Amino acid sequence: MTNAAVRPRDSLPKTLRPGSRAWIFFLLSVRNVLRNARRSLLTAAAMTFGLAVLLWIRALTDGAHESWVTGAVRIGTGHVAIQAPGFARSGRLTDRLSAAQLDTAEAALRAPDVAPLIRAIAPRLEVSGLASSAEAAVPARIEAVDPAAEAVFSSLPASTVGGSFLAPGDRLAAYVGVGLARRLALGVGSRMVLTAQGASGDITGQLVRVVGTFQSGVPEIDEGLVYVPIATARAWLGTPAAATTLAVLLRSSYATERVARAVRRRLPSGIAVLAWQEAAPELASAVKIDDWSGYAFLAILYVIVALAILNAVLMSVLNRRREFGVLQALGLTARETGWVVFTEGVVLSAASGILGIVIGLSVTWLLWRHGMDFTALMGSGDITFSGALVSPVIVPVFRVQQVLFCLAATLVIGVVASLYPARAAGRIDVAEAMKFDR
Amino acid sequence: MRRIVPMHAATLFVPALLLAAPVCRAQETPREIVDRVDRMLRGNSSRGDMVMEIATEHWTRSLEMRVWSLGTAYALVRVVAPPKEAGTATLKVNDEVWNYLPRVDRTIKVPPSLMMGSWMGSHFTNDDLVKESRMIDDYDIAIGFEGDREGVAVWEFVLTPKPAAAVVWGKVVEQVRKADLMPTWGRYYDERGNLERTMAFSDFRTFGSRLVPSVMTVRPADKPDERTTIRYRQLEFDVPLTPDFFSLRSLQERRAP
Amino acid sequence: MIQGVWWRIAWRNLWRNRRRTLITASALAVGFFGAVLMVALDDGIAAEMVDNGTGVLTGQVQLHAREWRKERSLYATIGGDSGTDVAALLARVRAVSGVAAAAPRVWAGGLLSAGDRTEGVVLMGADFALERGVSRIFESFIAGGAPRERSKELAIGAELARKLAVRTGDVVVVVAPAADGSMGNDLFRISGIYRTGLQDLDGAFAAMPIATLQSLLALGPGRVHEVAVGLADPWAAAAAARATVASLGAAGHRDLEVAPWTVFSPQMNEYVALIKASNGLVVAIVFLFAIFGVANTSLMGTYERRREFAVVRALGVGPGGIARTVVYESVALGLLGLAAGAVITAPVMVWWHHTPLNLAWLFGDLEVAGALVRPVLRIEYGADGPILGAVGLLVTAVLAALYPAVRAARVPPADALAGR
Repeated sequence: MTNAAVRPRDSLPKTLRPGSRAWIFFLLSVRNVLRNARRSLLTAAAMTFGLAVLLWIRALTDGAHESWVTGAVRIGTGHVAIQAPGFARSGRLTDRLSAAQLDTAEAALRAPDVAPLIRAIAPRLEVSGLASSAEAAVPARIEAVDPAAEAVFSSLPASTVGGSFLAPGDRLAAYVGVGLARRLALGVGSRMVLTAQGASGDITGQLVRVVGTFQSGVPEIDEGLVYVPIATARAWLGTPAAATTLAVLLRSSYATERVARAVRRRLPSGIAVLAWQEAAPELASAVKIDDWSGYAFLAILYVIVALAILNAVLMSVLNRRREFGVLQALGLTARETGWVVFTEGVVLSAASGILGIVIGLSVTWLLWRHGMDFTALMGSGDITFSGALVSPVIVPVFRVQQVLFCLAATLVIGVVASLYPARAAGRIDVAEAMKFDR
Repeated sequence: MRRIVPMHAATLFVPALLLAAPVCRAQETPREIVDRVDRMLRGNSSRGDMVMEIATEHWTRSLEMRVWSLGTAYALVRVVAPPKEAGTATLKVNDEVWNYLPRVDRTIKVPPSLMMGSWMGSHFTNDDLVKESRMIDDYDIAIGFEGDREGVAVWEFVLTPKPAAAVVWGKVVEQVRKADLMPTWGRYYDERGNLERTMAFSDFRTFGSRLVPSVMTVRPADKPDERTTIRYRQLEFDVPLTPDFFSLRSLQERRAP
Repeated sequence: MIQGVWWRIAWRNLWRNRRRTLITASALAVGFFGAVLMVALDDGIAAEMVDNGTGVLTGQVQLHAREWRKERSLYATIGGDSGTDVAALLARVRAVSGVAAAAPRVWAGGLLSAGDRTEGVVLMGADFALERGVSRIFESFIAGGAPRERSKELAIGAELARKLAVRTGDVVVVVAPAADGSMGNDLFRISGIYRTGLQDLDGAFAAMPIATLQSLLALGPGRVHEVAVGLADPWAAAAAARATVASLGAAGHRDLEVAPWTVFSPQMNEYVALIKASNGLVVAIVFLFAIFGVANTSLMGTYERRREFAVVRALGVGPGGIARTVVYESVALGLLGLAAGAVITAPVMVWWHHTPLNLAWLFGDLEVAGALVRPVLRIEYGADGPILGAVGLLVTAVLAALYPAVRAARVPPADALAGR
């Protein structure tokens, strides 16, 4: 035992002010922790390891969810979809955004509080119609897009099986799913006629040539989707400069709420703004359920860590009975002994917890910031989930919310795990304590 | 599967390259010949009785029908026999189509987006019926062959779709007899040169003062046992019909006017 | 020395340090609880998903004529053009073990028309009484009810009703190309409107009594396209399908395709496989934490007990004996933890299994989707959870003790006794 706490002017409890007394106990706790390096390190190790792994798990789980959402919205209407109010239900060309409305919407998206959060904006004209070739005719969903914007926005332009995606400047081009190509006996260069009802109500036909085929793995998409340039469709259907959806892809799905709100504020009521949770409620549910079961899992792991810390701190108390006995003989009250132990526990937990969080963040970032490959777990290729393509590589997502949560958990664990040992320390009988040699 | 009845009857029953007798100026370019036909068609009215026989791998059917048409915009078809389907009628006015079903005594307006599949179960598709009337607009016409086939002097016109024409065929070849400008057959190819279907014209008869092929047969290339044959029993031209006749009320009348 | 003695020594050592033992055992028990619970939860999510995916309409096993799936042709009925004895077929299928219910279906494409609105639909001919064990679509009526047997009544989805602007009791025209080439058509009364939350079913689907659809389509009573089967245990689908093939083959039905959901819904199957794979990962993580916690405590204990080990060494026990003591202590601790774990896990599992947690409150007004994706957190009983948990726990106990055991064995007796 060193003489850290035994300084003549500080040794008389009754004459000291509470402030500096507390400071002394703090110093005492810290030095106790530092003094028995091995014991402290072992205790700290549990906490550090635990929190590092927990943060890693949390970052990957959030990354997985982000990947699901991104996969789904890239094939769908983005994180935020701007449409005419009736379109989501009717799917009809009559419910479209006029050129003026499109301009207003695009202006709203350029606002400084919104623009930096946006990754891509894709205008689309979507109609149901018929795709026919010399071989057969099948119903199809026709998506007229801006090739440049769509190449960034959607994952389908990259899922090419034959040929290539629409190029900017293409006029009579079409990009179709492999299922559709098969049913209509189409190859790259084949001619196809699309028939749909135009703005005036007349059925009109449009010739296109297949420039590429894609495979998404989702049968409804592969058998029923045709991409054409939006300029072609606007001329064909008689809807100059109009669009049925202005789809917005954000850099992070967590910004959806904010962007939707900001945009809604700036747009008149004749334009609807939909967040992806409204367009794909099953996906939102799935993410929430997975989140909750994830939290349940983390809670269990935290309990295990807490128990390990409890054990460690308790052991350290029980092995220092003589030390505490001497301290009490020197004037430390039972309560104050308890405080010292409590502070030791909390300080150790806090320090090791913070270290754990830092290690967790750094290691995750250093090793896996480009993504962790789960191919072994997920088999070969992409799988689909809730109609979205999920790639087996998961990029961890770091959220301030999660780090704060871990910090809070650290403190809670530290506090809870130190309470009982503190009580035990307080109950040491001085005379009995002297029987021990430590 | 969404099946409904697409109808552009005028062109079905009065094939585009149908010509009335007298004029055969062999010096005319193909385009001029076809153009002349088209002009004649536009003001043309007709009324007729026909039988349609359909043979598929699962069933064979025969329907007797009465048909009225005015130009390429108006048509009314009513089934006369067999009794089970008698009274079923289809009305086409420009791009709108209605079906009348006598059994339930209801008229259904057919939405444009469901214009798929065959008409009345036959091998005629919507494409044939719509595109026939616009053949001149959609195709470039050239003479592929001029001379004798089996002792008959014919032209074979090769129709290639214009660059932006909304047609599915890569090529259509029609053979026309030089003597009376009667079509004998039409072959429809996809762009790779595969034959997809054949239309054959035969039994040339004079109705009123016009010579027409009274039998038309369509055969799909991939199912050689299947065919649809239309046989005209009776056909009158230049009948007094006005657009008012082509109304929903006429559609629902059970008696033939 | 005799084996049994080591175990007794180990056991007593544990109880000499009662608090430490109890806390460590608790950590192991929590680990076991956690592992078993997480696996059960994941299995529950997978089961819920399969249930939602197959229980609404498709059933867990489906029978078709071999050519039907390609083009869904009207003519591709079971037994070909001459059809089959449907009642006998159903009876045979029901007799297969694991089958809870079987229902015959007729499928066609057609039109529904009301006033001047017309919509394309998929028409289903069903036996509504038999469907009850196979599909749930006819249990989600928001107005009216299922059509009566052999009547000219129709059940349609809420979205279709809106598009046609019709209500229960209204009359619509149904048109469909019949098997003899004619246009089948008739008037039907809407008997009920349902809502599933699924776009396709709610917006482009109509169901009528099977006999009525057969006559509309000019199909004889022995001609059906599909037999859908509901199983007692969805996970036994592949086995049930095989058993059905065997049974039907023996009865002379060849040329039939019998597909379990794992074949006709491959994506769902992939997702389930993913969940099962991640179960192992979950258990591994839980016990990684437990190993750490136990090793930690054990190692600290080793240092604190140097004197004790020194004395024991002085009494003649070799280093191997010390190591063995430490390991046996840990194993005993493991068993203790397992017992405690089983005690706390079992009642929770039983309670949760019977009272699944309804998370609807979490999702607010997502009620429409809730009709299908019930946000219910439930657990499935399974053997692999507890087995993985027990194995993990005992492995943890042994692994956690290895390093401390080695350190304990290396305690130099004389120095330790001398207090250094």
